[in-house]
Amino acid sequence: MDPEQVDEFVMGYLKKKGFNNAAKQLQEALHHNNGGTFNSTDYHNDPELTKLIRSFSQSENDPTRYRDGYSKLRSWAYNSLDLYKHELLRVMYPVFIHCYMDLVGKGHTREARAFFNSFRKDHEMIHLRDLQKLEGVLVPSHLEEMEFARSLRQSKVNIKICQYSYDLLLQYLHRTESTLMLGIINEHINFQVYSGQPNSSSDDIDAVTIVGSFQETADHINQKEIQWGLLEDSLEDRLEKTGSLLSDSEKGQGESKDGDVDDSKKRSNEIGKQGSSLKKLKKDKAGNATAKVARQETSIVSPAPRVKPELALPVMSTDVEESILEDLRNRVQLSSVAMPSVSFYTFVNTHNGLNCASISHDGSLVAGGFSDSSIKVWDMAKIGQAGSGALQGESDTNDQNVGPNGRRNYTLLLGHSGPVYSATFSPPGDFVLSSSADTTIRLWSTQLNANLVCYKGHNYPVWDVQFSPFGHYFASCSHDRTARIWSMDRVQPLRIMAGHLSDVDCVQWHPNCNYIATGSSDKTVRLWDVQTGECVRIFIGHRSMVLSLAMSPDGRYMASGDEDGTIMMWDLSTARCITPLMGHNSCVWSLSYSGEGSLLASGSADCTVKLWDVTSSTKLTKAEEKNGNTNRLRSLRTFPTKSTPVHALRFSRRNLLFAAGALSKPAS
Amino acid sequence: ELWKGEEKMSIVPKETIEVIAQSIGITNLSPEAALMLAPDVEYRVREIMQEAIKCMRHSKRTTLTASDVDGALNLRNLEPIYGFGSGGPIRFRKAIGHRDLFYTDDREVDFKDVIEAPLPKAPLDTEIVCHWLAIEGVQPAIPENAPLEVIRAPAENQIYQQKDGPLIDIRLPVKHVLSKELQLYFQKIAELTMSKSNPSLFKEALVSLASDSGLHPLVPYFTNFIADEVSRGLNDFLLLFNLMHVVRSLLQNPHIHIEPYLHQLMPSVVTCLVSRKLGNRFADNHWDLRDFTANLVALICKRFGNTYVTLQSRLTKTLVNALLDPKKALTQHYGAIQGLAALGHNVVRLLVLSNLEPYLSLLEPELDAEKQKNQMKSYEAWRVYGALLRAAGLCIHDRLKIFPNLPSPSPSLLNKGKGKVINTEPNKRKLSVDSSENRSPRKRLIATDGSDGGPSPMQVDRPTGDANPPQNSVHPSSSEQASGGNAPESRNAKENQGSKGRTITRKAILDQIWKDDLDSGRLLVKLHQLYGDRILPFIPSTEMSLFL
Repeated sequence: MDPEQVDEFVMGYLKKKGFNNAAKQLQEALHHNNGGTFNSTDYHNDPELTKLIRSFSQSENDPTRYRDGYSKLRSWAYNSLDLYKHELLRVMYPVFIHCYMDLVGKGHTREARAFFNSFRKDHEMIHLRDLQKLEGVLVPSHLEEMEFARSLRQSKVNIKICQYSYDLLLQYLHRTESTLMLGIINEHINFQVYSGQPNSSSDDIDAVTIVGSFQETADHINQKEIQWGLLEDSLEDRLEKTGSLLSDSEKGQGESKDGDVDDSKKRSNEIGKQGSSLKKLKKDKAGNATAKVARQETSIVSPAPRVKPELALPVMSTDVEESILEDLRNRVQLSSVAMPSVSFYTFVNTHNGLNCASISHDGSLVAGGFSDSSIKVWDMAKIGQAGSGALQGESDTNDQNVGPNGRRNYTLLLGHSGPVYSATFSPPGDFVLSSSADTTIRLWSTQLNANLVCYKGHNYPVWDVQFSPFGHYFASCSHDRTARIWSMDRVQPLRIMAGHLSDVDCVQWHPNCNYIATGSSDKTVRLWDVQTGECVRIFIGHRSMVLSLAMSPDGRYMASGDEDGTIMMWDLSTARCITPLMGHNSCVWSLSYSGEGSLLASGSADCTVKLWDVTSSTKLTKAEEKNGNTNRLRSLRTFPTKSTPVHALRFSRRNLLFAAGALSKPAS
Repeated sequence: ELWKGEEKMSIVPKETIEVIAQSIGITNLSPEAALMLAPDVEYRVREIMQEAIKCMRHSKRTTLTASDVDGALNLRNLEPIYGFGSGGPIRFRKAIGHRDLFYTDDREVDFKDVIEAPLPKAPLDTEIVCHWLAIEGVQPAIPENAPLEVIRAPAENQIYQQKDGPLIDIRLPVKHVLSKELQLYFQKIAELTMSKSNPSLFKEALVSLASDSGLHPLVPYFTNFIADEVSRGLNDFLLLFNLMHVVRSLLQNPHIHIEPYLHQLMPSVVTCLVSRKLGNRFADNHWDLRDFTANLVALICKRFGNTYVTLQSRLTKTLVNALLDPKKALTQHYGAIQGLAALGHNVVRLLVLSNLEPYLSLLEPELDAEKQKNQMKSYEAWRVYGALLRAAGLCIHDRLKIFPNLPSPSPSLLNKGKGKVINTEPNKRKLSVDSSENRSPRKRLIATDGSDGGPSPMQVDRPTGDANPPQNSVHPSSSEQASGGNAPESRNAKENQGSKGRTITRKAILDQIWKDDLDSGRLLVKLHQLYGDRILPFIPSTEMSLFL
C-alpha cells in the first residue's frame, strides 16, 4: 500500500472523528517528513494495521456496507457444511435485526426498509412476531421509544455454538475483513462455546430466542431455591393415612376394567356420581371451603415433598371437606389407556361477544364474560334437573333454551363498564371474580347474585384473574405489566409483581399457594413468590404471547400455551422446558391437568380439545438424555368440536373433563 | 430516482398524509413535512394494530374487529373512532380521479325514517347447551359433535385378492336405509291392497300414493310387491284390480321417478291384460280389469315411449302375437285388442285392421249362436267382436275427424272444385236419398257455424240411412270422398284469394290429404263390408250424410 494513501486515510479518519488537533499535528508531521528525511512511521509497515485503517477509512455512513456485509455473511453461512450450518445460521438473525436497527438509527430509512424486506423471508419462519414489531421502526426516535427495540439494542443474545463452528465464523470474519459484521457480532452476541460435535438443530429452542437484557439475570434468578412440593396435611395426605384411598383406587381400577366390557354401565355410573357430587356441592355452598387438586401416588415416580404454607390459609368447613374427600375417593383413575369423558358446554347466540368462559370446580356452574360488560352465570345442575338429560347429552336441547315461565336460564351480573376479560369461581362455587377492561376486578356472590366488592388498583385493562386453590386469595394481571395478589377482604392489593416487559396476559396459582405463575406478551413465563413478591423463575422459550397456564397437581410441572399453538411443559425446579407439545395450529386458550396429573388437556381456537400423555413425556426426557432421539411429545387424542373454539377447560375432582366454548360460524 | 426512493420509505405515501392534513384543516403542509410524517404515521398505526391484536386475543377471537381497534385506542388514552361498531361490513368508495384514495360510504339517514321504522327482531338470547364431546376417550356420533371420519368401504385389495381366483364380479351390497315412517307406510298400503275390505280407505291410500312426495324410496319395494302379488294372485280378481290401481297411482305421482322400475312393472301389467284367466269366479268382471289395464298400458307408453324406445314395439309385438294366435283364449284376444286399441288409432289401423278380415272369418263360427252352443264361449266371442268393432270404429272415426268442420263452400268455389268431382257428382246425386242430399249443404252451414247441436237431428235421421243396402255403398263412399277432398280445396281456394303465393305448397299438402282421404274412404268401405251397419255409428255425422 502506498504510504501516501495511508497517510491520507489516517488524516481523513482523524478529521471525521473530530480529532482536529491530532490531524493538524499529523499534517504538520507529514509535511515535515516530506520536506526532510523520509522516516516511515511504524504503521506503514504493519499490514494488519493498514488493513484496519483502511476499513475505518471507508465512509462509515455508507449504508450499502450493511447490505454487502450481511449478504456475504449470509451466503457464506448458507454454503457452509451441513453439520455446522444450523449453528451458523443461528447467528444470522441477531446480525440481521441489528444491521436493520443500525441503519434506522443512522437515519437511512429507505435503505433500512430495503434491507429489511430483502432478507425478511429468512427469518419469518421463527421470528415472525418480532419482525412484525420491528417493521414499523423507521426513524431513530422510534428506536428510543419502542421498548422492544431498546432492550434488543442494549442486550446480548446467547448463542450456543460448538468450538469448530465458532472457529469457522471467526476465520471467515477475519479473512474477509468484514469488520462491520464482526463489530455487530461482538457487540450483540454472547457465544457459549462448547467442545464436541454440534447439537442437532431441533434441540435447543432457547438458542434462538432473543430476550431482553435479562439473560444473565434470568440465569441468576433461576438459581434461586423454590419449594415446589405440596402442602403439609393436605386432604390427600389425610385420605392416604386413612387408607381408604388404596381400596378406592383398586375399586376404580376394577371399575375401569368393567368399563371396557360394559361401556354404558360405566357411563351411567359416572353420571350418577357426578350428579351426586353436583348436588352435594350445591348444598355446601354456605361454607367458606377450599378445594384441592389432588394427586395419587400410584403412578408418579417419587412423592412430592411437603412444604409449609406461607400464607394464612382459610379454614375449611367440615362438610365441604367431607364432600371433597368423597370426590377424591370416587375419582376415576386416568392414564393413557383410561381416557376421561368430556362434557362440552356450548354457548350459542353469543353474537361474537363471549370474551371468556369459566367452569366451577365441580362443573355445575358456568360463567361467561361478555364484551358488553355483562357476566352471565348458568347453573347447569338446575338446567340438568329439567330432564336430567343435560349431563347425558340426550335431552332435546331446545327444551333447555327456554327456561320455565319463559324466563332466561342464567343469572345476569351487571356492574363492569368495559369488556369482561376473565372470570373465576371460588373453589366451592360461592363467589365469582371478574376482571374487565375498566381496570377493575369485581367480586360477585352466586347466592345473592350481587356485586360485593370492586377492587381497584390496576391502571389498565385487567386481562386475567384467578382464585387461589384454597379461595380467599386471588391473583390478577394486567396490561400495566404487573401481576397483583389480593385477598377478598381488602380493596388494596397485597403484593405487586413487576418485572415483565410487556402485558401480563395470564396468571395461575401453584397448588401449594406459595407461588403464582404469569405468562406475558414478552414471551416469557415467570414464577413469583407470593410472600416476598420476588420473581423466582423465568421460563424462556415461547415464540409468541403466552395465553394459558396450568400447574400439575403435584406442583412439579407447569404447562403453558401460546398464540401459535405450542404448549410447553416446564420443570419448575430447573426452569427448563421438558418438552414442547406441538399439535394445535391456533391459540391455546386453556390448559388443565387431570386430578392425578397423568393427563393434560388443552383447548384451542382451532376447535379441538387435545389430550396429552404427560407421564410419558416427562419420563422419556430422562431416557432421552441417554440415547438422544425419542419423540417426546405424545398426543393421545384429539376431539374436534363443531366449529366451537374451546375457551375453557376444567377437570372436576372426579376427573370428568368439562369444556366450554362459543359456537362460531365456520369460516367460509 | 431519489423521489422514488423516498416514496418507498414508508408504506404510507406522502399523498395520504397530505389528504389527511387537508381533511383536518391544515392547508400549508409542506411536502417535506409530509415526507417526515409518513414513517411516523406508519409506526403509530402498527403500534395501534399490535395493541388491537392483544385485545382480540383477550376476547378469545381470531378475527380482528373494529371494537378491538377501539380497545387499543383506549389503551393509549385516545378517543375511539366512532361509527364502525355496528359490526356490519364497512363500505369504502374509491375517490374519483385518484387511484388509491378511498373514503367511507356514509349515507345520510333521516331520523324520521329510523324512528318510524319497525323495531328489528330482538336477537336470540345467549344460552348454553351441553353434550358429550367424548365418553371415555371416544367421541359419540351425535349431531352435536363434528362428523366423524367417513366410513370406508372394505379395502380395495381384498376385492382384488378374490378376483385372482375365479373371476367373479363382486358387488358390494348397497345398504338401503328406509326410515321407520316409510316402512310403516309401505306396510299399510300393502295391507290395504291385500285386504280388499275397506275400499274407501284404499281410495284414500291411492290418492296419497298418487300425490305424496317422498315415496320414491319405496318404489322398488312396490314394484317387487306388485310383481309378487300378480304372479301369486292371478285367481284373485279384486287383488289384481287393486294392484293395477296402485300401479296407476304410482304412475300418476309427479314426485316418483318410476322409469328405472318399468321393466319390472310391465310384465305384471301385461299379465293383467292378456292373461287367460283373471279371477276364478264367474262374477268377476275381468273385462273391466282388462279395459282398465289397457288404458294403463297406453298411459305408460305415452309417457315413457320417448325415453324407452323399444317399449311400445315390444308391447305391441306381445299383444299382436296374443291376438293372432288362434290357440289363445278369446279372453286373451280381447285383452290384446283392448291394449292395442288403447295405444292409438295408428296402431289399430296398422296392426288390427290389416288382420281384421281373416280374424273375423275365424270369429264367425263362434258368433253364430247355432254353431256355438256354449253360451259362455258365445258371449266371449261377442265381447271380442264388440271390442274389434269399437277399435275399428274409433279408428275410422278418428280418420274422418281430420276434417271435422268443413267450411261451407261458397257456390263459386264449389264450381271451381267441380272439375274434380264432376264424375262423381252425378253418381252421388243419383244414388243418394233426395231428402238427405238437399239437407246436406244446410247441415254443413250449421256445422261451420259451430253449433254442436246441429248433428243431433242428423243422427236421429241415421236410421233412415241404415236402410241403405250395403252393396250400394261403394258409390256413396267414393262420392263422399270426393266431396271431402273438395271441401278443403275450396277452403284453400278461399285462402288463396288472400295470398296466392302459397298455392303450390298448399297443393302438395292437398294431394297428401287427398291420398289419405282416399285410404280412409277405402277403409270405410272395407269396414262396412265387414261389419255392415254396425260401423256406422262411428262415422262422423257430416261424412255420414255424404255417405248416405
